[in-house]
Amino acid sequence: MSSDNARVRLSIVGVIIVALFSALFVRLWFLQVASGGSYAAAAQSNRIREIQTEAPRGRILDRNGKVLVDNQVERVVTMDRKLTTAQRVVSAQKIAPLIGLTADQVLQKISDPRASQYKPVPIATGVTMETVQYIKEHQEELPGVDAVSIPVRHYANGTTASHLLGYSGEIGDAEYAKLKTAGYQLGDTVGRGGIEQSFEKDLRGKPGVERVEIDAGGKVARTVSYDEPIQGGDVKLTLDLDIQKAAEDSLKQGLKVAGGTRDSADKSKWSQFKAPGGAVVVLDAKNGSVVAMASYPDFDPAQFVNGIPTELWKQLNDPGNHFPLTNRAIQGQYAPGSTFKMVTAIAGAESGVITPGATIYDSGKIDIADRTFSNAGGEANGSVNLARAMTVSSDVYFYRIGAELWKAGNRGVGNGEVIQDVARRLGFGSLSGIALPGETKGRIPDQAWKRAVHKERPDAFPYEQWLPGDNVNLSVGQGDTLVTPLQMGEAYVAFTNGGSLYTPRVASQVTATDGSGARDIGASLRSKIEVTPDVRDAMAAGFAGVVSSSTGTAAQAFQGFPLSKVSVAGKTGTAQVAGKQDTSWFVAYEPAENPQYVVLAVLEESGFGAAAAAPVVRRVIEAINGIAATDVSYSAPVGKSD
Amino acid sequence: MAAPTLSPTSERRRALKERVTHHLDVVLLGAVLAVAGLSLLLIYSATRSRLEARGVNPLYFVMRQGVFIAIGLGVMVAVMLIDYRKYRDRGAAFYVVLVVMLLAVLSPLGSSSKGTQGWFQLPGGFQIQPSEIAKILLIIALAGYLAQHRGDLDTKRLAVTCALAGVPLALVMLQPDLGTAIVMTVIVVAMIAVAGVRGRHLAIIALVALVGVVGVVQAGVLKQYQVDRLTSFLDQSKNKSGSTYNLDQSKTAIGNGGVVGQGLFKGSQTSGSFVPEQHTDFIFTVVGEELGFFGGATMLALFAIIVWRTWRTAQLSSDFSGTLICTGIMAMIAVHVFENVGMTMGIMPITGIPLVFVSYGGSATIAGFAAIGLVLNVHLHRFS
Repeated sequence: MSSDNARVRLSIVGVIIVALFSALFVRLWFLQVASGGSYAAAAQSNRIREIQTEAPRGRILDRNGKVLVDNQVERVVTMDRKLTTAQRVVSAQKIAPLIGLTADQVLQKISDPRASQYKPVPIATGVTMETVQYIKEHQEELPGVDAVSIPVRHYANGTTASHLLGYSGEIGDAEYAKLKTAGYQLGDTVGRGGIEQSFEKDLRGKPGVERVEIDAGGKVARTVSYDEPIQGGDVKLTLDLDIQKAAEDSLKQGLKVAGGTRDSADKSKWSQFKAPGGAVVVLDAKNGSVVAMASYPDFDPAQFVNGIPTELWKQLNDPGNHFPLTNRAIQGQYAPGSTFKMVTAIAGAESGVITPGATIYDSGKIDIADRTFSNAGGEANGSVNLARAMTVSSDVYFYRIGAELWKAGNRGVGNGEVIQDVARRLGFGSLSGIALPGETKGRIPDQAWKRAVHKERPDAFPYEQWLPGDNVNLSVGQGDTLVTPLQMGEAYVAFTNGGSLYTPRVASQVTATDGSGARDIGASLRSKIEVTPDVRDAMAAGFAGVVSSSTGTAAQAFQGFPLSKVSVAGKTGTAQVAGKQDTSWFVAYEPAENPQYVVLAVLEESGFGAAAAAPVVRRVIEAINGIAATDVSYSAPVGKSD
Repeated sequence: MAAPTLSPTSERRRALKERVTHHLDVVLLGAVLAVAGLSLLLIYSATRSRLEARGVNPLYFVMRQGVFIAIGLGVMVAVMLIDYRKYRDRGAAFYVVLVVMLLAVLSPLGSSSKGTQGWFQLPGGFQIQPSEIAKILLIIALAGYLAQHRGDLDTKRLAVTCALAGVPLALVMLQPDLGTAIVMTVIVVAMIAVAGVRGRHLAIIALVALVGVVGVVQAGVLKQYQVDRLTSFLDQSKNKSGSTYNLDQSKTAIGNGGVVGQGLFKGSQTSGSFVPEQHTDFIFTVVGEELGFFGGATMLALFAIIVWRTWRTAQLSSDFSGTLICTGIMAMIAVHVFENVGMTMGIMPITGIPLVFVSYGGSATIAGFAAIGLVLNVHLHRFS
């Protein structure tokens, strides 16, 4: 082969190499110039990490600015994650005895995969000042161990208003899955139940964000930026702390004395009232705002702050303890008994079945559709008009309204569900919309409901028709009627203020701590109900008589109360519950001529409304008006039942 | 041509001095020194934050590489000053040294790292990687044999050539060092192509080489992670932390550089040590991130100059063995650059071969300078 041949071959090799180099240039161009910054973005996300620091939660205040919930500084021992395994063991062994743990427990805490990788891990909370000093003085012997102060939730009044306030705790796995997108991290605190939950967005504040640059090993190289945490806003409630305390005390006393009283309805054997729980609600009569809301049994929200022990959680959910976590004021569903007669009266007057002045003769019983319906105590009240029927709680008077309305419906006049319509317009059977979680709707039974339950359980409900007896039972708040204490309170608010039904308000203002001002929460009107003045006056006179007339059902309970100073009107209720002792109701408003407050008490399995609930309400009214408190006693009803 | 060995010492010196002053390829030397100088900055950038974090002198690797370059320059001058035809005439001896060295490293004398038995451990923490030296020795030995049979490369001689090349190739595969094996294969193919192999034979050799590579990958000689690394460029969408992690981080670093780069010592991927093996096999990512397209293209251009000058020297060589030596070295440098830079950008499989003159590492750097010494040598003697 000639030399030229070698030159040609060498040139070919050269061309191949030029091609390879060209490929490199093109690829370099593609990656660096043509890719338009997508790799730069990848590099950015590679190295920047955000470390969140929780902001202190906002405070919860009563309507006078008294602190209900705030934060207290707690001393916490932390350990750095960046330690080597050997260093961890050394530090763990040294620190464990100081904080009452074993070295293994400390090591377990520091390697908890749920803790942030970039923050020191808390290993003990609520340690003593001596421990903090020891750690600070022995830093070189305790590598990576530090003592810091962090804000923790502080419930200033113990168990007071526990249901309304709720509690807060470390975010759970299920909550985290839901709240991840809202910027929550594992280990964050989240409100559960009550105001803590419903005003979570306001209370939480804005977490501090430290943006750090990290290397491939995950080590923090430097801080890029730091935004301070902003404390959550203060939520100002419509609640009055003093009235709340009085409501809780009175309820507790009422249940205690009821529990020590014999149930005279049980003729077969000697038994006491169980009186396991109840609720008291105090509402602003002008706009339905919640001034007090008590539920018993209660709990201590402070127990949840650093994670509730399993044993305690079990106790709180044990049926034998009657569900202390349940807020009976909005979650308890009770048959309303005679307190419901307010609804029946409006329905009867609206449809023309009754007029305020017309009297009927109450012989103690009435025959309706082949059945005899008796007054609860069987006594005869004689000639009664609307006002007197309220005062003495004549069942016969209201049975008649129920029967007449059923008959009218049967004749095709109206839809036969006038009582239900009025009840719904007064807020029964639907959520009140209060800003608290877990509210229940109650139930106003009607034809549609009857048909549905018959289909479901034909043995328990053999008829699918809405029968006269159903309407009669409904007229006195019995049968399958269920209401929450709050619904009943709001319905009486609507009656006293001239027909305005409000969405019950618990908070009046949220104050932002970052200086962006305050947000007022106004009372919001749900609906209006018209009651003609003559009907309203007659009913009001009847309610006033309940307390002030010698034959009023609650007269006994208010004996010695200075009615001339503070006039009180109200209605008792004693609801029969299948398989249980009677539910005791009393709903009152005061002053009777220009109502400021509606006060209501419900006591489960405690007997007559007049006997158990009325004294509780009396004591709350005394507290509101600065009258010397009368200890709650079980008051004997005036000759009759209701 | 006067044989310099026969001249009196003084005359020989004078001739040599004249040759060096008049015929030294300063363009090639300049390009090599520019690349090597740049490499010190890049190695510093790639290792400084990692060393600082461990409390070690951040100049540790830079200083060692400086020593390697100094030794390399010494070796280069030494190699350059002895007429390359003396090497050619001792091709057989070089070949024996080469085979013994590769055998020794497989014996207990050698030590292994990351699954490859390919190093001799020296005192002072230094290591020698014989496969880097083997490439140079193989080029000299083959050039000697092939130049003897210029224009007469029949089947039998081709078979001898393949056998000669096959032994070190097999020994390197046993380590296993796939990267060096590929480089050796390309060197051999380039040399026999220029030496005058028939087209048909070349096709067969290419086919055998291809089958060989596939066979090695399939036969289980390589560890699974080596195979994964090798094949990950075919499917770059695979898992992030696994076999494509290296490639993802590498491409991210280069892409992050953009047109002008993040600035020397300012690359976040680099200072955050996101790219594994960044000061050795993935050194090109430092240029890419910190000096951008301008820097990367400049570095490629410097390599193109080195290859071009080597190619030109092959053309100018006064004898055929010089042409073949330069061909082998040109192929070696070209394939190192293409494979190494190509793998950092995801167009070539990841095989652990260094970017000559830039990657941190003694053996490769010194061998690279020795190769340049050979090219300069051929250039000096192009008229004699």
